Amino acid sequence: MAFNSNNHLQPEDYSKLADHFVPDSNKVLAASPYDSQLGKNMARDARKVINGSLKIEDFHKVYSASLIKEFGDQYASGPMDTNQNSKAKSGTDPKWGMVIDLKKCIGCDTCTVSCKAENRTPPGVSYNVVLETIKGDFPNFSITNLPKPCMQCDNPPCVQVCPTRATYKMENGIVTIDNDRCIGCRYCMVACPYGSRSYDFGTSYEQEMAGFNDVTSPEYGVERGKRKKGAIPEETVRKCSFCYHRLQRGEEPACVETCIGDARYFGDMNDPNSVVSKLAASPRAFRLKEELGTKPRVVYLR
Amino acid sequence: MILKENIDNKMHAPKQKNGKLEKIYWISILIVFGIGIYSIITGYFMEGMESTNLSNIVPWGGWIAFYIYFIGLSAGSFLLSTLVYGFGMEKFEKIGRSALLSAIVCMITGILFVFLDIGRPDHVMNSVIYWNVTSTMSWEIHFYIVYLVLLIVELYFSMRNDLIVVAKNDNFKGKLSRFLTFNKKEYTDIDKVKDKKRLKIMGIIGIPLAILGVHGGTGSIFAVLKAQPYLNSALFPLIFIISALVSGTALSIAIYVIKCKVKKQQVDTSMIRSLGSMLSLFIVIEIIMVWYEFLVGFYGLEHEELGTLQLIMGSPYSWSFWIFQMGFALFFPLVILIIKKTRESINWILGASVMVLIGVVGVRFNMVIPTLIMPKIDGMPYGNYYMNLSEWLTSFGIIAMCLILYTIGEKLFPIDEIDSHENGVSKHE
Repeated sequence: MAFNSNNHLQPEDYSKLADHFVPDSNKVLAASPYDSQLGKNMARDARKVINGSLKIEDFHKVYSASLIKEFGDQYASGPMDTNQNSKAKSGTDPKWGMVIDLKKCIGCDTCTVSCKAENRTPPGVSYNVVLETIKGDFPNFSITNLPKPCMQCDNPPCVQVCPTRATYKMENGIVTIDNDRCIGCRYCMVACPYGSRSYDFGTSYEQEMAGFNDVTSPEYGVERGKRKKGAIPEETVRKCSFCYHRLQRGEEPACVETCIGDARYFGDMNDPNSVVSKLAASPRAFRLKEELGTKPRVVYLR
Repeated sequence: MILKENIDNKMHAPKQKNGKLEKIYWISILIVFGIGIYSIITGYFMEGMESTNLSNIVPWGGWIAFYIYFIGLSAGSFLLSTLVYGFGMEKFEKIGRSALLSAIVCMITGILFVFLDIGRPDHVMNSVIYWNVTSTMSWEIHFYIVYLVLLIVELYFSMRNDLIVVAKNDNFKGKLSRFLTFNKKEYTDIDKVKDKKRLKIMGIIGIPLAILGVHGGTGSIFAVLKAQPYLNSALFPLIFIISALVSGTALSIAIYVIKCKVKKQQVDTSMIRSLGSMLSLFIVIEIIMVWYEFLVGFYGLEHEELGTLQLIMGSPYSWSFWIFQMGFALFFPLVILIIKKTRESINWILGASVMVLIGVVGVRFNMVIPTLIMPKIDGMPYGNYYMNLSEWLTSFGIIAMCLILYTIGEKLFPIDEIDSHENGVSKHE
């Protein structure tokens, strides 16, 4: 149909597409053992929830009675339950962690490039790097590719030393920097055992890439507009945030998403059933400079 | 530095003879200062940190080294002044006020250096407002402020009696002194006793403040960094303090002797000799500490620490260790201060002090830079850092400012005790 047309599709167009998906939708729905009208109404209001005009709590309030009536025991949570759930949940909010499988890493630097593209870091600033080391002599030697984002330590030395509390540990495990407070003393860079922090010297790719300054990454969910001389992230310290702005909209960090060998895993370390929790308990797991007691949240599989 | 000392030397010359030299001093120092200001504006304010040779691998450089150098000079000369005001060793009274003045001026210079090293001067007040109690640097910023206030108040009370004398003159100096003494007409014996007590209290408060707060604390800024195994040792703040005493004593000797020579006054030989033997004692303690620091470091077999030690002792950077740290700051002055013939000669002691003052710059650079050059994780690149022209010009500009401040201080306030000064003159005549 209109897929190839230059006109952008409007939400109504999608509805029309769906309308023609089956010859007569009402007939199909009527065949179901459950109430069709309730389903349609819920679908309509679910769209409202998604576009923000209706609160999820209200949605539950409206439909929970009918749902209990319709599904009986199979319906698990009513509105009261969801409230309690959300309260109970706040105690076990996700604590993000990353697992990097060194056997899968081929050292292609895709993570470095995608990180640069996602966070639009200036020259000299790279939140993620891949360190290549060759150990041993021919023929007995090995090459290790060590992707190195910020370790998001649980005992972060950088947070200890920051004179202004501009860098701090969030509840979700991410070590963040408040660039509006940072004075740019670079003490945290000297204190970081992993060299994960960079200073924004105010340089730009503008000369080789027109328009570089026009778009900045909404780091930590803060839109800062164009990159300008003396505007905020400049002359302050910057670091990997596990792509916090992507996490906020439910996406994985850019490096995890683009890894061609699927060497990176990302998830909730608080959830014992998550992939990362299980992998972190593997006997292959190790952390960088564990002896320092920094408790990194990035786990490597050797 | 030597050049500046010489110029300084010329500056204090008696007016009738050396007015021309003073002119040369002022012109040259203002030129250096002007170039420094120009380079601060074009570099620091226009380009920010990009104007330096700093990088993400070596984020701290020459300005931080100069900052701890001047903080050390300040703490050292203050501790020397406490011998006079805190412990009543009147033998050293002649250097008391100039030691305090140089402590104030060096403190201001040191703070200015670290201020320049901050990327966002517009955010600087955050470090005072948002106090991170686990951050040594945050504590330092607060200690510096308290310490500077204490120094100024102590200097004021130490020269109050002479301020009142000067206030009787009808020139600018007199007016300033009248303003500072709140038009106090007479300095009675009660005042004298009171001031002596005040000075004693301030001196005693100042000792822990200078040792634990200002200089030991500045050492802790570096020593708490477990990411830098070379710095991360309990001995490190102590080495900081002892090298502060070394450089502070040397500074006081140099200032006093040069001032006397220029003003053609009698040098108090016995005082300088005992200061010289104190200097040698401090140097010996520093050698012992540095020896154990390196010994334990070597036996630790830690890859990064060994790498740092190798960078310090056997790399293209090692001239600064062997010539400045070992040679100028420790070995040569110690030899001069031990051999009987040279340790009694004022000129040799002066030479040893100036050597120390130059050498300790190297000590400070070696504390900051080699450990940062060493990569933290296998596979990361080695850093490379030399100060560039802009950094040097700015540094010289600030050092020139330090000399200007000191000279103005000497000119405006009765830093030399008036009585002793008159005695000196009459003796000379």
